[in-house]
Amino acid sequence: MTAAAPVLSDRHRPAFDAFMANRREPDKLSRLRREAFERFEALGWPTRQQEAWRFTDLSALQSLALQRAADAPVEAAALPTLDTAIHRLVFINGRFAPGLSKLTELPERTVIASLGQVLAADPQAVQNQLDQLPGLAQHPFAALNGAFWEDGAFIYLLPGAVLDHPIHIIFHATGGDTAVYPRLLVMLDDGARANIVVEYRGQGRYLQAPVVELSVDDGAVLEYHQLQEEAPQAFHLGGIKLQQGRDSQTQLHLMSFGGQLARTDLEVLLDGEHASCMLNGLTVGRDNQASNFYVRVDHAHPHGSSQQLFKSVLDDKARSVFDGIIHVRPHAQKTDARQNSRNLLLSKQALAQSNPRLEILADDVKCGHGSSTGFLDPNAEFYLRARGIPAAQARAMLVYAFANDSLNAIQLNPLRERLARLLAGRLALDSTEEDLTS
Amino acid sequence: MLEIRNLHATVEGREILNGIDLTVRAGEVHAIMGPNGSGKSTLANVIAGREGYVVTEGEVLFDGKNLLEMEPEIRACEGLFLAFQYPVEIPGVANLYFLKAAVNAVRKYRGESPVDAMDFWDLVHERMELVKMDESMLKRSVNEGFSGGEKKRNEIFQMAVLQPRFAVLDETDSGLDIDALRVVADGVNALRGPERGFLVITHYQRLLDYIVPDHVHVLVNGRIARSGGKELALELEEQGYALYNEEPGRARRAAA
Repeated sequence: MTAAAPVLSDRHRPAFDAFMANRREPDKLSRLRREAFERFEALGWPTRQQEAWRFTDLSALQSLALQRAADAPVEAAALPTLDTAIHRLVFINGRFAPGLSKLTELPERTVIASLGQVLAADPQAVQNQLDQLPGLAQHPFAALNGAFWEDGAFIYLLPGAVLDHPIHIIFHATGGDTAVYPRLLVMLDDGARANIVVEYRGQGRYLQAPVVELSVDDGAVLEYHQLQEEAPQAFHLGGIKLQQGRDSQTQLHLMSFGGQLARTDLEVLLDGEHASCMLNGLTVGRDNQASNFYVRVDHAHPHGSSQQLFKSVLDDKARSVFDGIIHVRPHAQKTDARQNSRNLLLSKQALAQSNPRLEILADDVKCGHGSSTGFLDPNAEFYLRARGIPAAQARAMLVYAFANDSLNAIQLNPLRERLARLLAGRLALDSTEEDLTS
Repeated sequence: MLEIRNLHATVEGREILNGIDLTVRAGEVHAIMGPNGSGKSTLANVIAGREGYVVTEGEVLFDGKNLLEMEPEIRACEGLFLAFQYPVEIPGVANLYFLKAAVNAVRKYRGESPVDAMDFWDLVHERMELVKMDESMLKRSVNEGFSGGEKKRNEIFQMAVLQPRFAVLDETDSGLDIDALRVVADGVNALRGPERGFLVITHYQRLLDYIVPDHVHVLVNGRIARSGGKELALELEEQGYALYNEEPGRARRAAA
């Protein structure tokens, strides 16, 4: 056992007290923060004796004394853009950067703002919406986020509101052994439609521990993209809660490229009949990178559908974990739930772990899971080489082909093309998506 | 063009090729026939440079250069082509992209610039007609979900686009119906010419009705037991391989 508990009270309680001393906000929010912090104290720093953290090595993070990040200037040119996105929210070290953001031409019946802006204009709205979704109750870093968050994005679509353009949200950290707790709150009322791209990135060494709440009401449609491209020394420990109403549809594309340790815990509650969600995960790892996805999909009503495909491509000593639970409640008949994890190892030292689990309490369902892990097919490599393609290029083509599947599921062209270039760059592959598919 | 001298090769420690001597000159088509397990496919794989096939003695010269010292991709860039007995499915890599990558790899090796997009497109279309291939196959992943006949046609199509100087066809006829066989043969015949050599490996004489060889060799037990003209193939068709009085399947069993 590591002596984790004393470190907590020593290090975090004074930090929390100091943090609270300077805050001016409605009592209800302060109460939520205290509750979250007490939850963190009760949970304690995760240890590898806990089932949920058995395969996540936090020792490198635990040895750091992380500080609250100060304001730091960031050049607009240093941040990525997305052609078709006209709404853009940038957060530097977890705090809104209006100068780097763009919130003009807001459509009707839609709120796209920072939490801080909404708090100033309508404190009630934030108090009523924040921390309303179930899930992540046992997640210590979600609890820390609940205590220490400073700002975040607030997206609210009234019933039937449809956004034609994606909303681009960037959480950028400037490093220096700091901890950043970004927030994202998305509420799509009945029949609303939105398309969101979230990017996590930064410089140097830091922790980003975001909490994302996605509430997708009856008949609403959400396409959510998350690109985790944290700095090589960074830690990313995020949580996503997704709750879906009747006839709602979601697609979550979760791309994990960066960080020395990255983990996303995702809890999905299909809370209405005929709700469907598609989860598309891709991890690309090298060096000593570790990337984990912990996914729980809870089918609470009949006729729900969930499709999960999580892939990883691992080189050097990179490691990935996919841990997925499909839970089907007793009356959630006619559920169609599938879960697949596929891993490609490029080195003998790379390690992919898959723990797919089904908990099915209904009797009339279609549920399945599968998992495969392997090296590149030597026959395929020889086939390409026998046509004159050099060995390194042949391997890169095969890896690209494996991962490109995941990118092809993304409908947002500018993002998909950027990811394809990112992937090709990682593989030192002298080609782009157009070449491969045209 | 291709000179094989006293070639011995092992697979997983078992000797499969037992001293092969064979010379193919530019412009010639040689057929290699033989019973199952006589070493036909081993010979093809040794020429192409597949891993796991170990040459223990002898040499293979390609235009006077030591072929066995070259990596598989260098052999291809030098103008060698193997039509696979079992073409590999490569999900996610589009046929057209694969071909372009191959064409450009060869061009780069020769010190030429990448192929012009329009020229490439014209070439591809012309060659597609030659093997009666549908354009939709260009966009599909390499061999993925192709029928047996489509896969073999795709091999010939690749050969027609890459225009190698020397091609080895490893049982390209196996599993083909008569129409597909004709398409394959037409593809090969269209490429025949004074600059190009072929080694056609087959178990059956049937293919040689359409691709008429200049020379026929009978491979038995890893050695060429007999050589002759095209009439030798007909003789084998009538009499079978029993005359050669061999225990069949030696190589096949070793490989299994």
